[in-house]
Amino acid sequence: MSSRSDPLLRVENLKTQFFTDAGTVRAVDGISFEVYEGEIVGLVGESGAGKSVASMSLLRLVDSPGQIVDGEITYKGETIFGLEEGPDGDLREREDMLTNEEVRTRIRGNEIAVIFQDPMESLNPVFTVGSQLREFIELNRDLSSDEARREAVDMLREVGIPDPAERYEEYPHQFSGGMRQRVLIAMALACEPNLIIADEPTTALDVTVEGQIIDLVDDLQAKYGTSFIWVTHDMGVVAEICDRVNVMYLGEIVEQAPVDELFYDTKHPYTEALLNSMPRPDRTVAELDPIRGVMPEAINPPAGCRFHPRCPDAREACKRIHPENREVARADGQPHRAACIKHDVFGDEYEESVPLEGRAQETAASATDGGESEESGVESRSQSGNGSGSTRKTDGRRGGDDRE
Amino acid sequence: MGVHAKPTGDAEVTTVSKSSPDGQLGSEMTGETVPYGEALIEVEGLKKYFSQSGGLLPGISLDTNQFPPISVGEERVQAVDDVSFDIRRGETLGLVGESGCGKSTLGRTILRLLEPTAGTISFKGEDLATLSGEDLRTKRSEIQMIFQDPQASLDPRLTVGQIIEEPMRAHGMLDDEGREARAKDLLEKAGLDPHHYNRYPHAFSGGQRQRVNLARALSVNPDFIVCDEPVSALDVSIQAQVLNTMERLQDEFGLTYLFIAHDLSVIRHISDRVAVMYLGNIVELAEKEELFENPQHPYTKALLDSIPVPDPRETGARGVLEGEVPSPVDPPSGCRFRTRCPRLIAPEAYDWDGEEWKRTRSFMRAVKRRTFEPMPAAEIRAEFFGGALPQGEPGRIVEEAIEFIATDHEAGTQTSGQAKAVTDEAGTERDGPTVDWEQATDRLLEAFAERSICARERPAYEIESAHGTGTHFTACHLHR
Repeated sequence: MSSRSDPLLRVENLKTQFFTDAGTVRAVDGISFEVYEGEIVGLVGESGAGKSVASMSLLRLVDSPGQIVDGEITYKGETIFGLEEGPDGDLREREDMLTNEEVRTRIRGNEIAVIFQDPMESLNPVFTVGSQLREFIELNRDLSSDEARREAVDMLREVGIPDPAERYEEYPHQFSGGMRQRVLIAMALACEPNLIIADEPTTALDVTVEGQIIDLVDDLQAKYGTSFIWVTHDMGVVAEICDRVNVMYLGEIVEQAPVDELFYDTKHPYTEALLNSMPRPDRTVAELDPIRGVMPEAINPPAGCRFHPRCPDAREACKRIHPENREVARADGQPHRAACIKHDVFGDEYEESVPLEGRAQETAASATDGGESEESGVESRSQSGNGSGSTRKTDGRRGGDDRE
Repeated sequence: MGVHAKPTGDAEVTTVSKSSPDGQLGSEMTGETVPYGEALIEVEGLKKYFSQSGGLLPGISLDTNQFPPISVGEERVQAVDDVSFDIRRGETLGLVGESGCGKSTLGRTILRLLEPTAGTISFKGEDLATLSGEDLRTKRSEIQMIFQDPQASLDPRLTVGQIIEEPMRAHGMLDDEGREARAKDLLEKAGLDPHHYNRYPHAFSGGQRQRVNLARALSVNPDFIVCDEPVSALDVSIQAQVLNTMERLQDEFGLTYLFIAHDLSVIRHISDRVAVMYLGNIVELAEKEELFENPQHPYTKALLDSIPVPDPRETGARGVLEGEVPSPVDPPSGCRFRTRCPRLIAPEAYDWDGEEWKRTRSFMRAVKRRTFEPMPAAEIRAEFFGGALPQGEPGRIVEEAIEFIATDHEAGTQTSGQAKAVTDEAGTERDGPTVDWEQATDRLLEAFAERSICARERPAYEIESAHGTGTHFTACHLHR
């Protein structure tokens, strides 16, 4: 991984928006990342962060009212999406951008495949598992029906489905959740794509089955050298499987780092807060330190840094400055990027700025007695009706107010 | 945590009654109080079977592999089978297991939302299993439930105020004004703004809705709350907020929780003691620290090993468990985990030596799951036994099984006519002699798996804890 050639996939300033009656939802708002050959890149974030829309945009699978409005997606030198300025000053699609037909026949399935979260919804309940797999192979690889069938049985065996010849004839409902997910993996691998987008592939599965699937992906990845974009909300899975990670918050990538640096040298307060709010399986955490409030809606994101209303480190400048993702450190020749102005590369505005009102006291209070301050917050509020202590506790109200 | 260690229990109760506008509320539970740390609920031999009575022809099952192919008789899903444990006042008992293990059914059966098939549920000395009618209805003010889906468990046509007052109205508590005051009080205690009293559930986010659920459950001043996956639908950061609130409320109201979840991290955070369920049985129950640091049941170990740890430097085993959970209609005899157990005990009927049993066991499982392709006998021997079959009787049995599945055995020597028909029907694309997986599987299971103590007796052992002083229950014959 040290010597890097051209990336397999390069995404630059991708913006996907949904035009709804309530306004424009900026689901993905200018994200950039690369995927190199043979690596697993994580796309992690909470629900509503835009990670699924981002991954679907890569295959131009965004339906109306959604639309990719800006950015460039390059796969192996081919332009999956790209815009240029026309003579009249409007943006128009570039000449070299692949047509819908080309994306469908050449890219989807053959070059980039997708594994979805819910295997039952991805499989048609009225056809046998085998016939669906066979059809997919037949269409994408130009094989005869018999050859495709043999290939399908081989793929089922490859993903660890016992007695594949027999199970070829069964219907999706006869498969357990883990087995269905294996079928989808078989389907994704069938055309030997170079890149697989896995959208929360293990979220619906039990933990022991999840372990089996992660093992399987690891083995197959080593064997075929396939690259993955792994979309998940689970930091445990990220730590387990990813080489590099992109953390998303409200449509933006706020931190981008190799997995070890992300966990051990965290540069963005959101990532930090996310890691601190998680209960751990490997040790007992006495007090959880939750992130205040809820994620605002992408229809009307906060000005300045989008995380500032919930950020424990926020200062006055954070309300004004909307930081882009900049390189703040390097690890093994790989950049560690973060979108937070507290780092030196963003200048000294943060240093010169004052902490947001009430924030300093509050964090001090929560740092000393953690969750207990919630309780004291109730009391102080019922007595005096103000005070910073209550702000933390009434996260619920803040969220509610956001909707008004 | 460690709520039951708190000596101030009664003081807290008094606080509650003071804060509520009407004294009758808080006092309701003090009459028959169970001291902190004593068993509030004792479940003994609880069973819940579901009969599969749906469909056009209920009770009739079709199986073409037997004669006659149609059989009449009820197949029963043994969702919870013979479960015993107690929950102490003021503690959180975590109940963890994979989907389908019966944990939700157990929770609902304790609340009598489902009719138990057998067993007793003693709540403050009274058997809930035999209560009915008005008695049961009244009792329900003391036991409440919080469901997984915060959206589905709130009526969209009621305001949160009405939702929280509903249980009080049903139990005839307070007057209109009193109920409103209490609802507002509870909204605030659950971490919501009392001014949102007139809002509808859709105006709230998932985490806030779960807080409304909490407030509703608390409205009738229960002693005991069954929480069925209360945070699994929430994002991590919201999850932490709700968990913290739940802990705070537990302290404040002296609540006892049965906390059902599949997420071991959440269970580890919130529980005092933890019970692990597998296929309708509790396989291990111990204090939290003991269970996570010193797990004794192979299933618990496998479960703990498979969790992805949010630490990239942790490179432990994962996906250690093979195969899938068997059907609860016909669960394995003895220990229900034995069909997947990596430490299945060798049948004593034979003399085993070193690696022999380990190899035989993995061969047996591989045959049963058909995880490999049929190959010549010598290759099977080499792959699974390193060329040397076990000594004596086991060796002969293994040899017989290999004969059934080897591709180079002389056709007809072992396979019966019927077996041939079966394989032909399956239409495998292989040429050469027929391969009979079923006979090989039967032979191996009958000779080895069925003779293990794991298949003959249902395990239940109590061992000493390495962490803490509590008892450690484990259902594994390794501790015999």
